[in-house]
Amino acid sequence: MLNKYLFLAFAALWAIFFLYAWSLSRRQAQVRRELEELKNKVAAGPSSHSQPS
Amino acid sequence: MSKIFSPTMHLLVTLVWFMVALYMVFLYAPQEATMGEVQRIFYIHVSSAWTAFLAYFLVFVGSAGYLWKRSPEADHLAQAGGEVGFVFCSAVLVTGPLWARPVWGIWWTWDARLTLTFVLWLLFVSYLMLRRYVSSPGRAETLAAVVGIIGFVDVPIDYMAIRWWRTQHPQPVMAGGEGSGLDPRMWVTLLVTWGAFLCLFAYLMGERLWLAEAGRQLSAIRRGLAIRPSED
Repeated sequence: MLNKYLFLAFAALWAIFFLYAWSLSRRQAQVRRELEELKNKVAAGPSSHSQPS
Repeated sequence: MSKIFSPTMHLLVTLVWFMVALYMVFLYAPQEATMGEVQRIFYIHVSSAWTAFLAYFLVFVGSAGYLWKRSPEADHLAQAGGEVGFVFCSAVLVTGPLWARPVWGIWWTWDARLTLTFVLWLLFVSYLMLRRYVSSPGRAETLAAVVGIIGFVDVPIDYMAIRWWRTQHPQPVMAGGEGSGLDPRMWVTLLVTWGAFLCLFAYLMGERLWLAEAGRQLSAIRRGLAIRPSED
């Protein structure tokens, strides 16, 4: 049987890596979304810049 | 900047490398005579520690580069190194006590190596908090760079702590003098595992650098859009 400390160490390691990768991908998705919104605003023309979103 | 691998390919290589490393940790490396199975934590613990040291070195290089040239790329390198390094340093502080409990009978002791590693983790935390909570533009980068440079002093002292002082922490496996060292199969396993960690580190750094650059571009576009109506 796998030693419980060995199991916990590997489980914790993967949890830490996955949590960080998940947080990073969430922030990337948010920046992509904001960039896309800004691109659309710019494409819509100068008059739309001061319009509330 | 052109990349050798696409991020997807890089992630795939990392995953395959980790599978090889896991095979070696559990099936190739021999079982240590006195500690038994729990000694296998050593491969991920040491790999995390070496990677955290490398990350803080990048924080130092990026911080020095920023203070010297005021280059946003250098600042991004320091910022990414600080964040990814925090992840690996946290892994060191979690896997260490899980090895110490069955081997020493205690989770933690304030010996030189453990204390200095905890200080390194606090340095990563303070570096990231400075970046997050100092809002005036330019000031956060400069203050963080100063912390990044001064804090780097901890890394060589932490690395040398088990050579300079008598500690509860095991003696070094590399250049540790007479009686130290590893079985050749353990050495190969350790190096392959560290390679997998470095591959993951490079992947996370690449993704974090992309985020920093995209964030900078986003701010620049926003500033441009905010200025434009008054120019009309």
